[in-house]
Amino acid sequence: MICMSLQETSAAVDYLTEIKPILKSRCYACHGSLMQKAGLRLDTVSLMHKGSDNGDVLKGNPSLLMERINEANVADRMPPEGEGVTLTSSEKNRIAEWIAGGAISPIDEKPEPSPKDHWAFRPIVKPAIPKVNQTNWVQNPIDSFILHQLESKGLTPAPKADALALLRRLNIDLIGLPPSINEIQSVFSQHNPNWYATTSARLLKDPRHGERWARHWMDIWRYSDWWGLGAELRNSQKQIWHWRDWIVESLNRDKPYDSMVRLMLAADEIDPEDLGSLRASGYLARNYFLFNRNQWLDETVEHVSKAFLGLTINCAKCHDHKFDPIKQTDYYSMRAVFEPYLVRNDVVPGTLDTKQDGISRAYDAYLNEPTYRFIRGQENSPDKRVVIPPDVPAFLTGSGLIVKPIALPTPAWHPEIRPHVRLSNLKQKQMLVESAKAELFQAQNAWKLASDDEQQRKQLASKSSISNPDQKASSTTTEKLLARNLAEKTLRAAEEEWASVRLRAAADLSSARSASEESSQELVKISVWAERQASVSRADAELARCELELFRGDKPQKPELQKKFESAKSLAEQAKAKLAEPPGKHTSLVGAEHVPTKFKSSTAFDPIPTFPSQSSGRRTALAEWITSPNHPLTARVAVNHIWARHMGKPLVPSLFDFGRKGQLPSHPKLLDWLAAEFVENGWSMKHIHRLIVESSAYQMQSSLLNASEKNLEIDADNKNFWRREPIRIESQVVRDSILKLSETLDPTMGGPPIESSLQTNSNRRSLYFFHSNNDRNLFLTTFDEAMVKDCYQREQSIVPQQALALSNSRLVHDSAPRIAQEIANKMAPETNEAKFVNLAFIYTLGIVPSRDETLASIKAMESWKKLVDQKPDSEKIARTNLIWALLNHNDFVTLR
Amino acid sequence: MCQGQHTARRAFLADMGMGFTGLALGAMLHDETQANDTTWAPPDGRPHFTPKAKNVIWLFMNGGVSHVESFDPKPMLTKYAGKTISETPFASTQDPKKLAIERLVVPDANGNQRNKLFPLQVGFRKHGESGIEISDWFPHTARHVDKLAIVRSMWTTDSNHGAQTQFHSGRHQNDGDFPNLGAWVHYGLGSLNDNLPQFISIGTREYWNKKDGHYLGPAHDAVPLRIDPKNPLDFGNPETPFQAKAQETGFELIEKLNRLRSIEYPHDPAMAARVASYELAYRMQRSVPEVVDFSNESAETKSLYGLDNPQCRDFGMQLLAARRLVERGVRFIQIQHGGGGAGAWDAHSALKANHSQLAKAVDQPVGALLEDLNRRGLLNETLVIFASEFGRTPGTQGADGRDHHIFGFSVWMAGGGIKGGIAHGATDEIGFHASENRHYVTDIHATILHQMGLDSRKLEIPGRKRLEIDHGTPIQAILA
Repeated sequence: MICMSLQETSAAVDYLTEIKPILKSRCYACHGSLMQKAGLRLDTVSLMHKGSDNGDVLKGNPSLLMERINEANVADRMPPEGEGVTLTSSEKNRIAEWIAGGAISPIDEKPEPSPKDHWAFRPIVKPAIPKVNQTNWVQNPIDSFILHQLESKGLTPAPKADALALLRRLNIDLIGLPPSINEIQSVFSQHNPNWYATTSARLLKDPRHGERWARHWMDIWRYSDWWGLGAELRNSQKQIWHWRDWIVESLNRDKPYDSMVRLMLAADEIDPEDLGSLRASGYLARNYFLFNRNQWLDETVEHVSKAFLGLTINCAKCHDHKFDPIKQTDYYSMRAVFEPYLVRNDVVPGTLDTKQDGISRAYDAYLNEPTYRFIRGQENSPDKRVVIPPDVPAFLTGSGLIVKPIALPTPAWHPEIRPHVRLSNLKQKQMLVESAKAELFQAQNAWKLASDDEQQRKQLASKSSISNPDQKASSTTTEKLLARNLAEKTLRAAEEEWASVRLRAAADLSSARSASEESSQELVKISVWAERQASVSRADAELARCELELFRGDKPQKPELQKKFESAKSLAEQAKAKLAEPPGKHTSLVGAEHVPTKFKSSTAFDPIPTFPSQSSGRRTALAEWITSPNHPLTARVAVNHIWARHMGKPLVPSLFDFGRKGQLPSHPKLLDWLAAEFVENGWSMKHIHRLIVESSAYQMQSSLLNASEKNLEIDADNKNFWRREPIRIESQVVRDSILKLSETLDPTMGGPPIESSLQTNSNRRSLYFFHSNNDRNLFLTTFDEAMVKDCYQREQSIVPQQALALSNSRLVHDSAPRIAQEIANKMAPETNEAKFVNLAFIYTLGIVPSRDETLASIKAMESWKKLVDQKPDSEKIARTNLIWALLNHNDFVTLR
Repeated sequence: MCQGQHTARRAFLADMGMGFTGLALGAMLHDETQANDTTWAPPDGRPHFTPKAKNVIWLFMNGGVSHVESFDPKPMLTKYAGKTISETPFASTQDPKKLAIERLVVPDANGNQRNKLFPLQVGFRKHGESGIEISDWFPHTARHVDKLAIVRSMWTTDSNHGAQTQFHSGRHQNDGDFPNLGAWVHYGLGSLNDNLPQFISIGTREYWNKKDGHYLGPAHDAVPLRIDPKNPLDFGNPETPFQAKAQETGFELIEKLNRLRSIEYPHDPAMAARVASYELAYRMQRSVPEVVDFSNESAETKSLYGLDNPQCRDFGMQLLAARRLVERGVRFIQIQHGGGGAGAWDAHSALKANHSQLAKAVDQPVGALLEDLNRRGLLNETLVIFASEFGRTPGTQGADGRDHHIFGFSVWMAGGGIKGGIAHGATDEIGFHASENRHYVTDIHATILHQMGLDSRKLEIPGRKRLEIDHGTPIQAILA
């Protein structure tokens, strides 16, 4: 009887639907396959019976499980305080009832799989290409994978898009700009059956391809121009744009992805002598944050993991990861990789310091800085008992980090000896010498003229026995003489400065190589002397200037000028006196400048480190590990990003989380095939671009018009890619397209960003507009501009501000008449409005208009004409207004 | 929102379901939102439970209002004026343990303790039935004291003006940028009016972070509104002349062409949303200038807000616009007062001259707003908050100023289901530490969200785990 009643109670509680979900969401993280705290697993009932170190947790009344769930002390209660939401009383009651009912469960209950068996953590094995039925659809293996999945689900691929749509798709996707009228016409007039392959190959070689795809990677790698308070730099770097240019150039050259990643993480260790490569290091320089080192390194760890590995290591900052086998110490091990690095700016050829220009880059400054685990992630409670070494979660590749310190070549830590530094300094001094020479030549002539003139007057005066010789002429001569004196002294100073730079450069070089050698010390001595001698001459020149000005000055100015003269005199004497002092150290040329921080006190800069002669090698080790061909994540994550941007959505929807909390790939084998193909082909991104755009999968229509009922029924959300996914084009593409259509886009590549105040009048590509956390272009922001803090996928919102921006902005108003003119220019003179409408649709939207669309357009144009009196104007305005309307068309901002 | 936790399509749906694209659109797409099988779903624009308030008017005084000269009288300051704190019976206020909450950022010459007590610079008087004391600089506000719940026990941690950001996001500046309260409300709730933006910012916002949405996305940034009927909104008017009739013909054509295209692309939710967004934009372009056009307001109303008084005219117009926005169903109106430097209220010196003048600029309009909302029956569903990033030190800075003070300060709330005529919480006798019922800034957020029918935990986005302190706790004692 008792048995019966228990059965009856338990019948009311269903383990699989009621109990297991509670345990899974609240308990498995610590008591499942990921972790077995106290030796306990709760993921099957038999494991619960097996129990913890204290035995069967379902045994007893109350059972151990219930005791711990009901525990009053929050530290001992399960789940403990801070480790998740406590169970509600009704949940507790259901569990109690279920236990009382005998803890019934299915016989074949399977434990959670080991986290290491998670799909993304397993090695990439290139899958066999599946067999398909509709073989004529297959352009390359991508299609086999896509089609195989479609066929297995009873889905059919959408028909191929028309040529006009494909031409627009290729252009916008590969270079971020719509095709010109000539390009459209040549595709359609030549009847070249290979136009698609020719066009895609041409566009992949177009330098604008680098600009287009750089913007995608800049989203992921968090490109941001600097920001701070007023002129004070607080985040990123003022010359960070060199990194942007490096990305553009690298993509255009098809620099291998693995090599790009390695340079971004460790160019200063891998290629320390090449300023071009060092630009890559902007990736780390961007994370600079004046005030808070923890914030800086937190962001670095979080986004290195998310961008390159698709791992949310940041979740382990305060506690062990709840889903992936990542310990809290793993978070700090990753931080330790970056602990030594700070930022400096290296002088670029042609400049003397880094205020004008410079390469912002990482360098290891704090070689001995320990990394501690922060207890519960709190920066004010470091666990100082254990120094955390640099490392990575080894389960991913079977090996941890192998860190070897790297001895740097001398110019890397003595950048002042770089030849271009010497050359720029000499060149600047040389220019001063040249201009001083020219001045002297003039002063010489002026003095000669004046003195000849005075002589003549004197002679004339004596001949005509004029008693009073010309006072003015004599004064002019004196003035010219003083001016000549000044010019002579200036030249001398310039020449001595030039000589001093030469000697300082030689002393720099010699000291950098071996400071202790006698020859070095001798050079330093000579260099100090030359520097002092140049100072003496400069002071002499200044004195000559004061003398001249004193002479020239009006009476009321004289006392003031006299004072200046006296002071210059005393400065000149001081400079001379310095010659006799014992030689110290010469002034080195400037090759690089450390970017100071305020970590310790926000009122004063931290001490400025000297550039060490070696680097920790930690970041190189990490970069090697991340880009090792057998890493299960790196290539998968990268090809998923590339796929997402071509195809409108990713294969793994959680772009930055490939862990157990992330979403599963829609096409696991395709993802693996692409990843393997990527690595096998030297991590060539263009290879992947080519494969994707040449596939049939890429070329399908997006319309549902001809979609089969079955497709709609089985897969309305297009999870299986049976049709093209339409894309709301990115902010930059919206603006750039408008300028391109009006043929006013400025093709200049690279260089410093366009400041906000100059943007309205700039026709540069949007990629070059200043873009930071605080400062973004209003028009671009309206269309979901990239957030600089993180942007793994662009938003594709549709909000009324977009309608306001497209209908009211000057950009659109100014461009519409130019686009209308561009169309008119390409038409025969006698063409009618219908033909104009036709070409306008083709050019702006990539659509051949239907009859109704043409009629509606013509009708509107007629209404517009009626609003204007004069004929030629009315036609122009009607055409302009039509273009304005088409730029506001949904399909202008949509890539079909 | 820039993140890959969901497909772009879902992101788009998320945006359509809330904000100022409107409930109608949200409802239209609701089924699709539900159809997705992941457990997380973006808000559908409906409150989580029955709300007490519909709108928020958030009045923020930039720079730091002295709590001891506004809403928290401390006669001991006058009694012990000139004494260092250690010489008074209140020496324990400077116990380093109690000061440990401070997280300094960029302290300038100001960032120090001010030891010498500074006497009150203004008198206090009891007002209303509640008899709560309010300083003589705020006579108009004081008339409504029985509608106010003054929270006298606020604290924060950023001792510089980054506290402005902190007051809006709940996070210290050094933690990075997080969505502001207004952005959360905008994210969580649907529109009450399709013709207007639902989250509006008025006034100067120089020092603190100029964006609101952060990881919620720029769609949740406040839309800046200028009190200028000719140019109230970014892109709100054609930037080069465009005949109204010609534009109208254009909008008709755009709609027609979009609908014709739908024949080729049937069942495209983006197309439907695009058409709707143009309708909204078209209406917005016409509705917004009307909001800031006061020609239909009575002379009495204009005078009530002080539009005829040069000292408070600017703020008066902003608050009158706020009332008009509330009447038209705008959710969240954020008004910042006091531009220049870190904020006009930042009275490091000459506090008396500074605060007495600024109070004249804001007090009459604030009193008018409370009265006007009340007589129109709007106050019971509109939450009005009067806040500042921190208070000012009990000790003097220089000869006649007060420094930043984070350990105790005041905020008041009114309307929208808030209990009137109460002073909740307290600071110690010299106004140094919040000593009873202490509240961090997010408790104000939680109280507002609670009155709006929102549960901040339900708004949380996957991968964006918020801390306990980010959520705060509603201040039950001030709820009606």
